[in-house]
Amino acid sequence: MKPALYIALRFTAARKRALVLSLSGVVLGVAFFISTQAQTEGFEQFFVQTVLGTSGAVVIGDRFQARYTPPIADKPGANTMVSGQQARKYYDGIDNPNFLMRVVENYSGVIAVAPVIEGNVTVRTDFKDEVMKLDGIDIKAHLRATALRGQVVSGSIERFEAKPLGLLLGSMLADYLQVKVGDILYVTGTEGDTRVFTVEGIFQTGINIIDETRGYCHEQAAQSIMKRPFAITSVIVRLRDPERAPYFAKTFESQLSHQARSWQERESGNLAIFRTLRLSAAITVSLIILLAGFGIFNILTMTVLNKVREIAILRSMGYRRVDIQNIFLYQGLIIATIGSIIGCALGALLTFGISRIPIKIRGVIHADYFVVAWSWHHYVTAAVIAFVSVLVASYFPARRAALLPPVETLRGSGQ
Amino acid sequence: MANHSRPMKPSFDASQPCLQARQLERYLGSEESRVHVLRGVSLTLEPGTVHAIVGPSGCGKSSLLYILGLLDNPDSGELLIGGAPVLSLVDEVASAKRTELLGFVFQFHFLLEDFSAEENVMIPMRRLGKLSEKEMGERARHLLDEVGLGAKAKRPSRHLSGGEQQRVAIARSLANDPLVLLADEPTGNLDSINSDRVFALLTRVVHNHHKSLLLVTHNPGIAEKCDWVHEMKDGLIMKTTENRPHPQPKAKA
Repeated sequence: MKPALYIALRFTAARKRALVLSLSGVVLGVAFFISTQAQTEGFEQFFVQTVLGTSGAVVIGDRFQARYTPPIADKPGANTMVSGQQARKYYDGIDNPNFLMRVVENYSGVIAVAPVIEGNVTVRTDFKDEVMKLDGIDIKAHLRATALRGQVVSGSIERFEAKPLGLLLGSMLADYLQVKVGDILYVTGTEGDTRVFTVEGIFQTGINIIDETRGYCHEQAAQSIMKRPFAITSVIVRLRDPERAPYFAKTFESQLSHQARSWQERESGNLAIFRTLRLSAAITVSLIILLAGFGIFNILTMTVLNKVREIAILRSMGYRRVDIQNIFLYQGLIIATIGSIIGCALGALLTFGISRIPIKIRGVIHADYFVVAWSWHHYVTAAVIAFVSVLVASYFPARRAALLPPVETLRGSGQ
Repeated sequence: MANHSRPMKPSFDASQPCLQARQLERYLGSEESRVHVLRGVSLTLEPGTVHAIVGPSGCGKSSLLYILGLLDNPDSGELLIGGAPVLSLVDEVASAKRTELLGFVFQFHFLLEDFSAEENVMIPMRRLGKLSEKEMGERARHLLDEVGLGAKAKRPSRHLSGGEQQRVAIARSLANDPLVLLADEPTGNLDSINSDRVFALLTRVVHNHHKSLLLVTHNPGIAEKCDWVHEMKDGLIMKTTENRPHPQPKAKA
């Protein structure tokens, strides 16, 4: 063992009260960091999974026609401005959807595709009217591309499959309309045609904006009520690696001339809120670790002052300045290591405890327990913050100790 | 010291004096309050000799000791330990020389209070890094036996009496089998019994193992027991007296 490390270990172990004080700050900071990150990321992941399970990683929408780009283009930062430029001209819906889906399915990385025809309709019961976003789906393809089967909380997919005019309703919409499985609903399209649908299932995604506005029916039924036979407005694409959705979206756009939006782009607003929350929590909790670092700075500075004579005698025995500096840096390292290990264990325990707390969240998302994410990133980040702040806090007392002139100390004590 | 007497191969010329200082000069303080504390001190320590430096406070005794111990640099002069020049070395090299060639004993013993007696003695050996943990432990216990503290090797140093602590400090100064022992009033903080005991121990080690000892003292009783006594005044060695009846290589003042 390196002499400086050995001495640092002994110095650290000998000052138990100081050790406990130093450790407590680091342990609490690391543990709180981990548990808050687990919570905020937990809710974010929950949201992302729901988005992916409902709308897919990429949604391919309207066809567009790229326009001719003139030689004098309106470029950012240019001195000239060209008005009236339009890069694309959009056409409603998917052109030749079956062909497009076959092409998309052949991309490696694409697991499944599902066509959707969407439009707004009015649903009416004997008591209430509500506007609903109706998605006409190919149920078999949709089950492959989304997590719809797992979202059905009442009724069943099989019942829905068996009924050409069956309807799957969002749970909150069903509550508003006060309908249950088996009830009849009158659905009126924008063209004024009305069909009688039966509620064959109620689904709950956990995202209220979907649960309170959306309903699913069969593709042909939707095309009929919207008076758009054979039309498909979008194609949901499920990817093996959803993180690559922006790349696929860009590729689809350039190769298929259809608008394609990744889930990151579609949910950028919500994701930014989650990111801000995580960052805010991280900054707040990092302050605890920084405060712990400040405490360690004070403790080590006091230790250096108390050990001036011992430092001088170590120098007289041939310990170099760097050895003296390392003795105090190692003390910080020991505190950071032990603090991070205990802090990570406590953080895991806290995270587990928090995940067992029953809460009813009914807002943007919907959960009955605290949602937490178990990610090693939180532990590594917390440990890195702890190490950096403790080492920075240790550096200055260590440097001070290294620069102490031994002669001054010995002269002052010896005569 | 039996098989623990030399833990490493000597890196100095054994035919040379242990230490030679020539015309050492040292100024202390800044421009206006500059003091000429050493005004050309020359000194030679031959193997197996004990030297005392006496003189009034402020005459430059400790300053000389710290320069000889490579803790401070003179403004001019020459210093050789084991025949090799040792001045103006970088911290790394000077520290290595201190570890290998020099042993210090201070008035206030300065043990690491969190460490046991044995661990204190092992500290210089750890820095030298030539022995295994087991060998260091054996050597430390042997040295503590030599100073009569073998039974208290595991005791925390703060639980030892002043005399015992000073003996641990002496054992520690001998840990790396140094060529030169430098002691700044090693008995100054002890009662007469412990003082005699510590001095006897130091002289025994020096004479038996052909080292040299330079000690600063205010105690005339201790000084007269040394082989050579150097009287310092105003930064100069004014007078050198030989106390030993038998011929020895002279210390030059």
